[in-house]
Amino acid sequence: MAGFVREFTKGIVISNPIFILALGLCPALAVSNTIDNALGMSVGVIFVLLGANIIISLIRKSVPNIVRIPTFVVIIASFVTIVSLVFQAYVPALHESLGIYLPLIAVNCIILGRAEAFASKNPVTASIADALGISVGFALALLLIAFLREILGTGGLEVAGTSLFTLPVLSEHPLALFVLSPGAFLVIGLLLALFRRIGAIKHE
Amino acid sequence: MVSMLRRFLPVLYITLVVLITVTLLNFTESITRAQIEARQHERIEALLFELFPEMSDFFFEDDLYTIFDNSTEIGYAFLATGVGYAGDIDVLVGLEDATTLKGITVVSHQETPGLGDRITESDFINQFRGLDIDGVALRKDGGQVDGATGATISSQAVVDAVREAAMEKIKELR
Amino acid sequence: MSELFTIFISMALVNNFILVKFLGLCPFFGVSKKLGSALSMSAAVTFVMVAASAATWLINNYILIPFGVEYMNIVMYILIIASLVQIIELFIRRTNFALYNVFGIYLALITTNCAVLGITLINTNEAFSFIESMVAALGAGVGFTLVLAIMSGIRERLELADSPKAMKGLPIAFITATMLGLAFSGFGGIV
Repeated sequence: MAGFVREFTKGIVISNPIFILALGLCPALAVSNTIDNALGMSVGVIFVLLGANIIISLIRKSVPNIVRIPTFVVIIASFVTIVSLVFQAYVPALHESLGIYLPLIAVNCIILGRAEAFASKNPVTASIADALGISVGFALALLLIAFLREILGTGGLEVAGTSLFTLPVLSEHPLALFVLSPGAFLVIGLLLALFRRIGAIKHE
Repeated sequence: MVSMLRRFLPVLYITLVVLITVTLLNFTESITRAQIEARQHERIEALLFELFPEMSDFFFEDDLYTIFDNSTEIGYAFLATGVGYAGDIDVLVGLEDATTLKGITVVSHQETPGLGDRITESDFINQFRGLDIDGVALRKDGGQVDGATGATISSQAVVDAVREAAMEKIKELR
Repeated sequence: MSELFTIFISMALVNNFILVKFLGLCPFFGVSKKLGSALSMSAAVTFVMVAASAATWLINNYILIPFGVEYMNIVMYILIIASLVQIIELFIRRTNFALYNVFGIYLALITTNCAVLGITLINTNEAFSFIESMVAALGAGVGFTLVLAIMSGIRERLELADSPKAMKGLPIAFITATMLGLAFSGFGGIV
């Protein structure tokens, strides 16, 4: 159990995929414009990474070395297809606003990276802990960026169609830059610098 | 024989993996298919309802929706696509008869939030309600539509797309 | 003809893969430290994007759509891209070893580059014709090359600049990308 907790917390803090490893940046920037998109993407990533880590860990002893990577890729892509079909069936609006970034989970460096570096070498329980830790770490980072971008860019916060709050001045004069693509680079760059400044991340 | 087997084992393995995943995906697809189709139908129905609140049924053929109110034909709707500031803008156009628009609604767009996306606001959209087809142009071009503030290119794109598509459909309908 | 030109400009400048669509960011921050490697990388990516667009278009229109199994496209496209990269790598290694030394290491990275899968999915979503897909892939590649080249030029200078300690490296690269993105947003509306 202690091992499980250690693997889990590792992904959230020590090797946070976005802020420390700088992996999976493409979705982190593209779908962090609203909290809704960030939540949808997080659910997708958690499901795919968990599923892929479990299956890969189960078959890790039987897979021939030479076709290891193609096998992993096929497994990951299948989980992504499942997520895509389920989203399309039950949350079509979210499926549409995530666009090509949902299928692109299949080539997200985080997922193949965890499959290759962890699940292919470790038993199932450890792989589950690793998948949960890494994907929750990813989700938290994504939500933090989306939170800042949506508040600054629209002057309020809206989750699943219900408005949580609107700020007085900002909602009338929102800083549209932040919901646009350059704003994504700006927010993530400043957050990274801030984390380094307060010592949360060590310099390389 | 054994060495032959060993050589082909990886190929067999990956083939097996692909076969299993394809079967599983096929299964998932067959479960979700009905739901996905129902959602798409609902979405189109909701958009058509925005334009024709009195609609009871619709019929789709050759890119044209024919709208019925208790089996009386009350109008037509079709998709028009314009090139906006950042990409395609898809608009659903409703026709009351061969000269008058019923209204329009923006289906999808990628315009700038806070600027270009004002084309989705009712101030802009409502101008098309019951508008004569000859009036579908921006005021500066002699039409009756005021462009949305800060969204010149996007407004122009919508107006042009609606006019061109409507002209074409009207010709076909006659 | 003007339709194709519009697609090209839209892919290269207005909807730039790196700055607007955030596709292919790993090489953007990874290899954009030196101009030479940035150019080699983007040439390889462009080539694979065009080849992958051709291959996936054929598979999509002659196998997936006729059999009604479009939902299999993610798995199919990834397999096609992976095998295509393998074939290209093998071919270059056999025929031109000097070229292999320049591109070889980048080719292996391209399989998991989201720009390649991205362009094939965009082609499918937009229902582009074969020629349009080719032009779109070429446009995306040119835009990718352009931004990677500009970025590497700036980063070579940034290495020497006296930026705040917490900003050095990745954070300042992100801020630079912000400025580039703002500059590129000026291309909006020209198509």
